[in-house]
Amino acid sequence: MTEYAIQTEALAKLYAVTRAVDGLDLRVPRGSIYGFLGRNGAGKTTTIRMLMGLAAPTRGSATILGMRQPEDKLAILQRTGFVGEKKTLFDAMTGRDLAKFNRPFFPRWSDELMAKYSRQLEVPMDVEFKKLSLGNRTKLCLLMALAQGAELLILDEPTSGLDPVVMDALLKVLIEDYAGEGRTIFLSSHNLAEVEKVADWVGIIHNGKLLLEASLEDIRADYRRVTVAGNALPSERNEQIFSISGSGDSREYFVRNEAERFAAELRSQGATIVEISPLNLEQVFLQLVRKEEPCTSGNSGATPVAVSSSI
Amino acid sequence: MIIHVNSSSGLPLYLQIESQLKHAVAAGALKQGDSLPSVRKMASDLRVNPNTVARAYQNLEREGVIRTVPGGGTYVADNVPGLLKVEKLKRLRPLAMQVAVEGTHLRLTQEDVLKLVEEAFEDLGAKP
Repeated sequence: MTEYAIQTEALAKLYAVTRAVDGLDLRVPRGSIYGFLGRNGAGKTTTIRMLMGLAAPTRGSATILGMRQPEDKLAILQRTGFVGEKKTLFDAMTGRDLAKFNRPFFPRWSDELMAKYSRQLEVPMDVEFKKLSLGNRTKLCLLMALAQGAELLILDEPTSGLDPVVMDALLKVLIEDYAGEGRTIFLSSHNLAEVEKVADWVGIIHNGKLLLEASLEDIRADYRRVTVAGNALPSERNEQIFSISGSGDSREYFVRNEAERFAAELRSQGATIVEISPLNLEQVFLQLVRKEEPCTSGNSGATPVAVSSSI
Repeated sequence: MIIHVNSSSGLPLYLQIESQLKHAVAAGALKQGDSLPSVRKMASDLRVNPNTVARAYQNLEREGVIRTVPGGGTYVADNVPGLLKVEKLKRLRPLAMQVAVEGTHLRLTQEDVLKLVEEAFEDLGAKP
């Protein structure tokens, strides 16, 4: 048993002109609910496809439940519940047909679980897949993954199209039957508020690179916004300062740790600390992703310009 | 017992759970020997990660607010934490200091602040 349910080393997928995934080192602890976050086109789905062996990496490696892609691809598929980005199953089959079809592929498949979850998530089992609404298609895909009794779930946008009641029912299932049993859930989502509640780890990917991987408790306990007024304020990001906004004599610093000490230092240099406030996941996400955006003008320090040596 | 967590408040979720349970015990809504929901039950009711609840329970147990019987559930502790009064006072001093500092900054008088603390005790006592 390894300590991580999912581990990747320098995982990369390069296309002719784009670096979809660019050297990813993921560490997903066993038993965690891991929120994999990023903007559209950040590389989430490509990463997930490589984890499941549905796309071949250009470089690097992925280990799932201690098994390696692509050598153990079949065993990984058997032991991982997977819902892909496109919620598609066989059009002409009903939920009941699909269950019969899927059952023999998965050693831990449970009809009991299927009956339980189809009730909890209110999945119509006797309607052909093609006739289902988007939300019901998503539910059926989730049901097929949950009925596998897998020790790892990999879910790409699992809540898209779900109404709030079903979404709540799904979260209850994931927390009670998966996280409560020490099983692992790796999910991508744009719903930051939801992730913030149920996840205990988050990874933020942007332009194929991992900008942050941390436990949410650390983020809540240590990440702070420090609002400062004063002269000659620092304008460079570093290990501690991950984003700066504002300019001139009023700035906001977004720091990863030791906010109090950072503030004390600025205060000792004559600055006024207006406020130190905690950050929620959305603010952390926006600040991290924004600083990576190619906004060249007015972004001091980011653009290489001819600078006189006296500065 | 009703607990609410707010994921956008910036206060760590486990601290929110801790402080609400402490409040419930202090106000008498939870009495000595009352049983608390299991980590799993509380997590699924609140739709929060079980590790978050487990961490709150661990901290409360360390502080003597609750006790866990191995394999037999979690209860509000029968006895006040077995600490010397000196220790208890020492634990509360930083909070008292913080109240004094904030009060001074707001230009409140010592009487105003003491009255506020008295009112807080009255509020607790008024609860069932």
